[in-house]
Amino acid sequence: MRKFTQSLIAIIISLIFGALILWLMGKDPVSAYMDLLRGSGLMEKVRYSGRQNMFTDFMSFIDAMTPMIFASLAVALALKGGFFNIGVSGQMLFAGFCAHMAAMILPSKIAVVIVGLIAGALIGALIGWLKYRFNVNEVVSSIMMNSILMYLITFYINTFYINPVSRQSKSIISAARLTLSGFRWEGLKIDIALAFPLAVVTALFLHWFIERTTYGYEIKASGLSPNAAYYAGMNVNRTALMTMTLSGALAGLAGVSYFCGYLAAIQPGVVPSMGFDAIAVSLLGGNNPLGCVLASFLITVISKGSVYMSSRQNIDMEIASLVTAFILTFAACSSVIGRRRK
Amino acid sequence: MLDMIIIDGLSFSLPLFIMAIGGIYSEKSGITNLALEGFQGFGAFTGAFVTVYLYGIFGAESSVPYYAGFICAVIGGGIFALLHALLCVKFKADQVISGVVMNILAMALTSFLTKRINASFFGNDANKFMLSASARITVPGLCDIPVIGAAFRDIYPFEIMILVVAIVMWYVMYRTVYGMRLRACGDNPHSADAAGINVYSVRTIAVFISGCLSGIAGMSFAYSVSANFSPDIYLGYGYLSIAALIFGNWSILPALFACLMFGFARSMGAAAIHQLGLPSSYNDLVRTLPYVLTLLLLVFFGKSNRSPRALGQIYDKGQR
Repeated sequence: MRKFTQSLIAIIISLIFGALILWLMGKDPVSAYMDLLRGSGLMEKVRYSGRQNMFTDFMSFIDAMTPMIFASLAVALALKGGFFNIGVSGQMLFAGFCAHMAAMILPSKIAVVIVGLIAGALIGALIGWLKYRFNVNEVVSSIMMNSILMYLITFYINTFYINPVSRQSKSIISAARLTLSGFRWEGLKIDIALAFPLAVVTALFLHWFIERTTYGYEIKASGLSPNAAYYAGMNVNRTALMTMTLSGALAGLAGVSYFCGYLAAIQPGVVPSMGFDAIAVSLLGGNNPLGCVLASFLITVISKGSVYMSSRQNIDMEIASLVTAFILTFAACSSVIGRRRK
Repeated sequence: MLDMIIIDGLSFSLPLFIMAIGGIYSEKSGITNLALEGFQGFGAFTGAFVTVYLYGIFGAESSVPYYAGFICAVIGGGIFALLHALLCVKFKADQVISGVVMNILAMALTSFLTKRINASFFGNDANKFMLSASARITVPGLCDIPVIGAAFRDIYPFEIMILVVAIVMWYVMYRTVYGMRLRACGDNPHSADAAGINVYSVRTIAVFISGCLSGIAGMSFAYSVSANFSPDIYLGYGYLSIAALIFGNWSILPALFACLMFGFARSMGAAAIHQLGLPSSYNDLVRTLPYVLTLLLLVFFGKSNRSPRALGQIYDKGQR
């Protein structure tokens, strides 16, 4: 409950900050914030273009939110186990890339999910293994892995897998894409995020896993105090490896639902910023799987709704990421975070 | 050919080096600093803004905007770094999280402000500040030495600035009372406190310095990489300098060698790829080298690689 209050305070202060900036720019903050909700399909817009209404907006909002849920769950689980998974970005990129490759051989949605899951888990496991075998700090190795993977994948895409028009990778074929793009129903064109139910189920499952199973208890115990867990007879090293593998697998799911769902292509030369935003989202959600879903919802409202807001109010899109950054800063100030393994 | 390798290598390594020194200051005092990326971006932003503003007063040929820009980059980076210090020292936030958040904040803030400032000061809606090309200095006489002479040819003025600042920073770290206190705070803040050192203020100053130095680096990158400031400046050079300082075992001189190695690997790789007639995308393969090397170093020589003992630990006076 205390965590919930802290997160709420962080959100409210940031929204006030954002309103202040909007007011200084001579805009009406209330109508700007309402436009955020309208852009996310949570309120009725004034006018819709053909084949669109509030429901289609809401569905594409869900599509944008799905990878964020997975990514924040990845961070939250790692933090429960005392690890700081700053490498979610790299794991997402790797998983998305592997899934793209797999889809060329085996164009099936299930294959994409499984390949992404395994690819992410492998990178997570590598980081966990380096930690307990060689005592390499997971933050440092994650940063190195992010850059290594980014450059390798950029190289491959630019050399063999580029779409010369969009300057991005080629698009994944629609048979393997996790978003049904432009699905016709009742005269509407809807984007359906097929991975969304999986995201919600995963969040519920993780909540049960952490709170109700022996493995979950071991993860929590090792995260709070590795020494105490060790003397209580737990296999701390195995738990560490398991935590990072699972966290990587979740990041992999985030990667496939982002690069093979919400987007259909990979942009070379950058790591997805979602991996870093997810750290803050998890923080905002109090490292609780269900909290993560709520926090993802909020952050996606801001990022997704900002497109509509900026076009309606003639405000720079950047204000949305600014408000998000404020939320993260205030959330970092409050000591919501569990103790990290030293 | 060889000249280009040396000139490009130096103009990339030196900004990286000054940023790594900044990181060393912060980490030696016990504050984990993943925020270098954000510091350099914010420094470059303030510097580029002042430079472009002064172009309007002094003209683009004057050297006043150039140096004023660097001074403001130092101030801007430092002030932004104080926010990291505030979160880590005062609010006792987790330092890694604070660092990540600082990067996100710097990116959001600078891209927002660049657009706003362009709209209200300069009357355009670009998302970048265009800088004029930096002057280049050639040292007469020395530049005629075969091979090594290239190190004295076409030098950016900031390279000399960086070397001077780096020597001062080395002196402060290893030869002054403040430097010794700073290292003590990173290894054992409790005994430092018992010896009468104010751990909080030492750490705050250290983070401030790291912001100032990163500001120099950011401004240098703004000149040498793209001749403008835009959100594209967040290319991960901050993380590269973190790799360099880890590779250099948190000491200034070894970090210099790491930076030179990274810089020359980069320029040599680019030259080799150009020579072999391969497409420029092969450069990305070379760019993984610094990270792979650092990772391997940590795996095989992790035992001899010593981070400051209290790195990342929140210091609380009341706690024992």
